[in-house]
Amino acid sequence: MRMFAELNSILNTSPDSFKPGEFILVSDKHTDASFLIHHFLSFYLRAGCKVCFLGLVQSFSHYSAISQRLGVSLTQAREKGQLVFLEGLKESLGVLLQGEASKGTRAVDFLRDPSSGLRGLYDFVRDNVRGGGGGEEWGPPVLLVDDLSVVLSLGVSVGAALDFSHYCRATVCSKLQGSMVMLVRCEEEEEEEESDEGSERLLRGLIHQCSLTLQVQGLPTGYCRDIHGQVEVCWRGQCDGQQTQKKLFQYKVHDKGASFFARGTSSAVL
Amino acid sequence: MITPYCRLLPYLSLTDSCHCTRYQSEVQGRLFPCGYINPGPSASIQAHQIFHFYHIFHHLAISIHPVLQGTEAGGLILIQDSVNYSGRHLKSYINTTLKRYITFPWHEYFQCVVHVLGFEASEDELKDGLDITSAQRLHFHNAYSDPLSWTRNSQFTVHQFTLEDIGTLLKQTPQAKAVTLIIDSLSWILRHHDPAVIWGAVRAVVSLLHSILHQQGTVGRIRHMATSVITVAPGTRGLGEEIFSINEDLTVTIQSKLSHPGHTGMNTEESELADPTANLTFNLRLSDTEREAKEKLALPFDFSKEKKSALLHLGPSSGRILYEPDANDDYDPEDPEDDLDF
Repeated sequence: MRMFAELNSILNTSPDSFKPGEFILVSDKHTDASFLIHHFLSFYLRAGCKVCFLGLVQSFSHYSAISQRLGVSLTQAREKGQLVFLEGLKESLGVLLQGEASKGTRAVDFLRDPSSGLRGLYDFVRDNVRGGGGGEEWGPPVLLVDDLSVVLSLGVSVGAALDFSHYCRATVCSKLQGSMVMLVRCEEEEEEEESDEGSERLLRGLIHQCSLTLQVQGLPTGYCRDIHGQVEVCWRGQCDGQQTQKKLFQYKVHDKGASFFARGTSSAVL
Repeated sequence: MITPYCRLLPYLSLTDSCHCTRYQSEVQGRLFPCGYINPGPSASIQAHQIFHFYHIFHHLAISIHPVLQGTEAGGLILIQDSVNYSGRHLKSYINTTLKRYITFPWHEYFQCVVHVLGFEASEDELKDGLDITSAQRLHFHNAYSDPLSWTRNSQFTVHQFTLEDIGTLLKQTPQAKAVTLIIDSLSWILRHHDPAVIWGAVRAVVSLLHSILHQQGTVGRIRHMATSVITVAPGTRGLGEEIFSINEDLTVTIQSKLSHPGHTGMNTEESELADPTANLTFNLRLSDTEREAKEKLALPFDFSKEKKSALLHLGPSSGRILYEPDANDDYDPEDPEDDLDF
């Protein structure tokens, strides 16, 4: 809990009390924001929610090892039924090696036919996000996606990815009052080419859908040993008459978490 | 009763195109008519936050003719936003539309109905903040839960965005004399439909367009179709413009009236401009003695009359040039340039 205490206080949440129905978008550019995904994974598991994790870019053991350091055991959570983990890499092997004949889940159907979109993946999410019968009753459902922009490089269109996130939001956030966290990684695109199918377009489309964005970037001045980058937190005013609010912080990733501080107040500097 | 202007509220700006005539344009081999665009005060106000609020009302007044009668006066009002400034002020527009017919007595014979085709936000989100009477007069068509029939539970899909289906929707309120259809959002529909197809469908429409999600050409085409375009953009002000703010209860207050360009805009602006010397950790202000000393200082290249004459008058032994021609110089006192060889 101490590990991401500053982030929790910035976002005004804790595993005991968090806002329902939030769609949190994490994006990164020139850096790696996956530490936030690890944070949210352990956060929601601690909060007792039913978590559906679409791990499209790393293996289960990777997340398991890091979560161990954050104090949460993914293996146990999976055995108990609290965590449903889609191991994208493992599933994709079946499709890529056996082709049509494979009997893998429909979730990675988009690998077989990218133009069909992500409906199979959505069906997987919908089936696993409701509280399963039998066993303990878990809290509100949570969907975590790491990361959504990888489907673009597999041939899925931006529109299909946005449709997928729309449906997830309608089901998880609006209908079931659960939460959603998605990671989107932006490529370094050239300034002149305005590529329509780029991850920038996906990012903008997702920003319009979400209620909270955490945009992570490397420092504009370059590499620094003590400050790994900056995070812009933006609360998008969607209801309750809230206005859009933005705050900028810098962060440093440790072995067991990350510390966040206001610009210029890094402990190395003061 | 002007509420204190709040800086955090983004402004809406209204851009009017100057085209006065009806024209058609060919898109991908199909002709689609572009509605004529009212001549308005000329254009170029895109970059700032002017908002001709009365002008919008004027447009609305024109557009109250029933949609189904197909009169030309119906217009398309487009609200175009960007990532930083969400066009959620659509709600404010809805609220205003619903309330307007109460405040304008000569419309009391009309029954205003607002249909909302909601793709982007759920009904709860959209109705949040509207008061109860307004919320009741809003007809929400749910295209948010299942717009593509993935869960086979859809009430309205994106493929139903055609003239016939929309007409069916609007016929649900047959007693209405005036209908405003609000589309939230056009961006959603554009992802799945060709723009040419869309314009075949509706007449009086207000819709929300996330401008950066589409190619420039697409946005440009939709803008041409629109009677008025409201661009939501960030906050600095220009001159001679109307400024307004949106209050907590989603009503709009005019802060300053449109006036002779170049004039009054200035006054309000100056008084509200942030003082750059405030809130600093060092002192940028001048005390009175410092100000006096500053004004007394004579600048080195600032020539007053005395200084000029002092410099120009040569003293007794100052500045005389003594020239001794040596052997190489061919000095002819009558023709000093004789030694030039062209």
